[in-house]
Amino acid sequence: MARNTSTSGMEVQLRSPSQKLENKHEEKVQDPNRGKDEPKADMGSKTWADLAGEMKIFLWNPEERTCLGRTAKSWGLILLFYFIFYTCLAGMFAFCLYVMLLTLSPYTPRFRDRVSPPGVMIRPYLNGFTIAFNVSQPNTWQPYVDSMHHFLAAYDDKVQEEKNIECVPGQYFIQAGNESEEKKACQFKRSLLQNCSGIEDPTFGYSKGQPCILLKMNRIIGYRPGAGVPVSVDCKVQKGNESHLRSVDFYPGNGTFDLMYYPYYGKFTHVNYTSPLVAMHFTDVQKDYQVPIQCSLNGKGIINDLNSDRFLGRIIFTLSIGK
Amino acid sequence: MVKKRSDVYSVEIYGTKDLHKTEIEDEEEKHKEQKGNKKKKKAEDLKKELDLDDHRLSPSELEMKYGTSIDKGLSSARAAEILARDGPNALTPPKATPEIVKFLKQMIGGFSILLWIGAGFSWISFGIQLAQGVDSAFDNLYLGVVLALVVILTGIFAYYQEAKSTNIMASFSKMIPQQAVVLRDAEKKELPADQLVVGDIVEIKGGDRIPADIRLIFTQGCKVDNSSLTGESEPQSRSCDFTHENPLETRNIAFYSTTCVEGTATGIVINTGDRTIIGRIASLASGVGNEKTPIAIEIEHFVYLVAGVAISIGVLFFIISVSMHYKILDSIIFLIGIIVANVPEGLLATVTVSLSLTAKRMAKKNCLVKNLEAVETLGSTSIICSDKTGTLTQNRMTVAHLWFDNQIYSADTSEDQTTQPFDQSSPSWTALSKIVTLCNRAEFRPGQENLPIMKRVVAGDASETALLKFSEVILGDVMSIRAQNKKVAEIPFNSTNKFQLSIHETDDPQDKRFLLVMKGAPERILERCSTIMINGKEEPLDSEKAEAFQTAYMELGGMGERVLGFCHLYLPEKEFPETFQFDTDSMNFPSSNLCFVGLLSMIDPPRSTVPDAVSKCRSAGIKVIMVTGDHPITAKAIAKSVGIISATSETVEDIAKRLNIPVEQVNRREATAAVVNGMELKDMSSEQLDAILREHSEIVFARTSPQQKLIIVEGCQRQGAVVAVTGDGVNDSPALKKADIGIAMGIAGSDAAKNAADMVLLDDNFASIVTGVEEGRLIFDNLKKTIAYTLTKNIAELCPFLIYIIASIPMPIGTITILFIDLGTDIIPSVALAYEKAESDIMNRRPRNKRRDRLVNQQLAVYSYLQIGIMQSVGAFVTYFTVYAEQGFLPSTLLGVRVNWESNGINDFEDSYGQQWTHYQRMYLQWTGYTAFFVSITIQQVADLIIRKTRRNSIFRQGLFRNKVIWVGIFSQIGIALILTYGLGHVTALNFTPLRFQYWFVAVPFAILIWVYDEIRKLLIRRHPGSWWDKNMYY
Repeated sequence: MARNTSTSGMEVQLRSPSQKLENKHEEKVQDPNRGKDEPKADMGSKTWADLAGEMKIFLWNPEERTCLGRTAKSWGLILLFYFIFYTCLAGMFAFCLYVMLLTLSPYTPRFRDRVSPPGVMIRPYLNGFTIAFNVSQPNTWQPYVDSMHHFLAAYDDKVQEEKNIECVPGQYFIQAGNESEEKKACQFKRSLLQNCSGIEDPTFGYSKGQPCILLKMNRIIGYRPGAGVPVSVDCKVQKGNESHLRSVDFYPGNGTFDLMYYPYYGKFTHVNYTSPLVAMHFTDVQKDYQVPIQCSLNGKGIINDLNSDRFLGRIIFTLSIGK
Repeated sequence: MVKKRSDVYSVEIYGTKDLHKTEIEDEEEKHKEQKGNKKKKKAEDLKKELDLDDHRLSPSELEMKYGTSIDKGLSSARAAEILARDGPNALTPPKATPEIVKFLKQMIGGFSILLWIGAGFSWISFGIQLAQGVDSAFDNLYLGVVLALVVILTGIFAYYQEAKSTNIMASFSKMIPQQAVVLRDAEKKELPADQLVVGDIVEIKGGDRIPADIRLIFTQGCKVDNSSLTGESEPQSRSCDFTHENPLETRNIAFYSTTCVEGTATGIVINTGDRTIIGRIASLASGVGNEKTPIAIEIEHFVYLVAGVAISIGVLFFIISVSMHYKILDSIIFLIGIIVANVPEGLLATVTVSLSLTAKRMAKKNCLVKNLEAVETLGSTSIICSDKTGTLTQNRMTVAHLWFDNQIYSADTSEDQTTQPFDQSSPSWTALSKIVTLCNRAEFRPGQENLPIMKRVVAGDASETALLKFSEVILGDVMSIRAQNKKVAEIPFNSTNKFQLSIHETDDPQDKRFLLVMKGAPERILERCSTIMINGKEEPLDSEKAEAFQTAYMELGGMGERVLGFCHLYLPEKEFPETFQFDTDSMNFPSSNLCFVGLLSMIDPPRSTVPDAVSKCRSAGIKVIMVTGDHPITAKAIAKSVGIISATSETVEDIAKRLNIPVEQVNRREATAAVVNGMELKDMSSEQLDAILREHSEIVFARTSPQQKLIIVEGCQRQGAVVAVTGDGVNDSPALKKADIGIAMGIAGSDAAKNAADMVLLDDNFASIVTGVEEGRLIFDNLKKTIAYTLTKNIAELCPFLIYIIASIPMPIGTITILFIDLGTDIIPSVALAYEKAESDIMNRRPRNKRRDRLVNQQLAVYSYLQIGIMQSVGAFVTYFTVYAEQGFLPSTLLGVRVNWESNGINDFEDSYGQQWTHYQRMYLQWTGYTAFFVSITIQQVADLIIRKTRRNSIFRQGLFRNKVIWVGIFSQIGIALILTYGLGHVTALNFTPLRFQYWFVAVPFAILIWVYDEIRKLLIRRHPGSWWDKNMYY
């Protein structure tokens, strides 16, 4: 109804453009073409050449003299800023570490909870825990023998007598006094190892198919193993036929670590400390067979059955002795 | 002319572009010939069908054309034949991407591919190590599995989010009518509607959905509701007559999926299935590609950036480690670590969660967001193309002005009017109110006495409803007034008379006269009047008074209002005694020489909240464009009243009128406003449209067809704008889909519109959009903060690897530990940043520039990576060195120990004090180091979280405690770290160990340093805006 009035007004607006209708029609046919090209360029379906060009400009824009979008001055400023920033940070880092290190004693670490109870290692240790050789072929066991000699050089009776003192066996060698004082070390002479000392038999039994293996307990500062009773060592076949391991001899003293070698005071004060050893002489092991052997420490406070750590209080190695 | 018309319509529905484009494309791109041909054929096919001339043909010509008979219908055999040719009368669903493909897309999108590479490398190195008999080989297997799990879980999460967004076609298929009554083999049959074929004779009655496009050949009082097609809500009558060249407007065609409101009709099916108008719109909507949302683009940009950093550093260090004589296998494992450290695994999930939190918040404010990414789109919107009806206006006719006693009165048009303030003392008003009350067939539906008047449901058309409510508000109980003035005769409104007349007894028992009341088109009413009532007295209607009437009529009409004239006549008692029998057919009563009483004008008034919302949009730098199917004058009036055209601005026509010069001579640049008619738009090239969109800040598009909406949207998008479009009809769905964000009306909107839209306004209120914009901008800012927060610790995760490779120290942090930071401690805090309040008035800012204001810009990356990230690394390394030193490994001892440290065989590894460590003891210490590093990063991330609350303002201004969720984040972060360290510290696979309590505090000084440094940064930014510092440090 009332719309009639408004349409009359509308037509006035309408008339002028509708007159142009005819001549505009031609334009219209072309327009979509152009309209189509625009978005295409916009869409970013750029050619590699374009991209390479843009990259080049980005790397070095000769007009604005910018490299990676920054001028030399801008680069200078930003690099200066980061230089100062990182210098300050490095300073703060160093300061923090310095302060932290100041709080530490140089002789005893603050915590020893993660390093005890002690782990165990053997010698010879060349490439793993399999000791395999043929008696008849010296070149197969010579490396083991060399390794043993090398390791035992520090235990030569002469060296020990020169550097270390004789201690009272059967009790801890406790050295009271200032932490920073140099501590004395007890003698552990190679000769104590008897058949495994390499003195009488320089091949440590390897040439006879009766190899010696040295076992040592990891050093822990202040640790007193066995709580008064010396820690002893025993060996058994780890998995398989137990009769493959028929006899083992232990030196010194039935395979015990004498109390007098403990506690350890750390490498700065206990300079000449030599870890006590237990030599295991495998005199009768099944030949031509891989015999897995587990040697464990036994004593109060020793853990030797942790699944996750197979070197804690025990060690597993394989003996494979051929003719 | 006829031919041109149909051309024009083909243009409208498919857009000129597509048609010509395909053709030109074919010529130019011959290598794409096959595909192009298919396209061309399809386009021409559609064009041909659009030359719809069935409305011009007579029934017999139609019978000929479709080989049917109006009396007998098609034969079943023939129908089957056509069905076989044309296919069923149903819309083809779009080719849906198989779910599995969608799922797999999520699995390889974003960072997933990097993580897959990491997992792949893990498995390869597992294989190699297994073959070599390395004990720790299984670690790599597990790592690969964990990485794959991370990818799969985040993929499932993303897929689930995407699956929520519904398919547009779903509602189109829902609209298919179930059954149709068809004449076949001279028998009436009820058939499933999808069996209909072209040429079928179908019968429709009120309440039915039209089963196909139908040319009507017989109608009885038939009205259809075309709202689902055109968005016009008023039912339109349908007849057999050819009334308009345009098939969409002619009365003798009823369209598929519209509803028959009343009456009955019979017609010939002329189009079925996809060839119907609605089918074409549906295919148009599905043809319109969904634009990538701005936030999706931003996130993609961010992913590229991070992936670029990850790959470059990875490859660089691979080369370094190989040249440092690391084994290739080791180098590959380092590469995995570097990738895992660089990729913020949890970030995309965090972004999704933040967006959905905002979506929830918006839903509370009546903005229902369907597509999560749309949450932000609204914030970057720079142009809103708003519908008029229902969005800007209340979608109901309301009396806006009255004219009586030679004076125009304004009525209250607000939503909840209870009284009318204008002067009601004049006796003319009494007479006018009586006519308004009596000459009205509309009635309130019963049982609504307790509802406010404006909310009651009325049976009757829009104008009568407006008048009924108007009189009810002023006079009170209209029904009892009508009862007191008994109606004795009535001529209802029809389009030839253009008036409505009724005769009543009066409520004055003394007065035995009958009262004849009449309303209608003002000029028609005036024709029938000889007198006019001024201040209650009848005065002769001379030319001067007629002139006054014309002026008032033009003025009201000029405001875009629908004007009605009212007149009455007291019939002389002598000629018309009480017993007189009125006969409306023979008109045995006078219908001329009446007394003109007044004019009432109605308009669909703007919602009261809209002007404020529009001005907010203005200050937020958003251009509001009105796009309506309405008349330019009405559109302009509404635009002016809501502020889309501000009070001071003028259109070209206004200037021409003011200066009294022809329109052509006006400098177009002087006009800030423009009212563009749909007919003009039709003839415009895209350059011209662009020019209009560029040159005018206030634009109204009137008389636009729904398809032109699409063209307008495209025009806006060509300007580089982010366009929001509102709409409610099916016809709007292409534009809704094309828009960067489509907003459908929740109440008035059709399902198709709701499905095509990204967002639904539950209250149909434009003001809700403004809320949405605010939330959208806020989430953009907050996502920036979230990303800055998340990226920072990536450096603290990466540095350990780099230093590990270069300095050969024991590994400071494990890959699994990194995953626990990224997917454990950091998740809740980064979501918490989404709750941060705005730093300044975000609604006074311009919308962000898509090209310049990136989500992750260089400053953000550099500041996070090279400054805060490095600080965190330093802090974490201090903790790391402290842990090792206190256990006996001084920093100097640690350098270069890697090979022996990691050797399985060396079980008497000596520390700085001469103690000897087994391999496992060292590993345990290493895990303690991981835990310490992890805890330090966590502690420093607390500081990082706090500094990220603001980008410019001081934290103290923002308030430490205003955002409580941040504290939830901080506590959760520390809580999770505590649980991991002490609760799961004994699960060796996770590489956490119970940490000594004091190590939690080693990094605290660095956390404080981070906070202080950032405060200084912000202070300098505020103090020296535009300075070198501002440019390089503000992200």
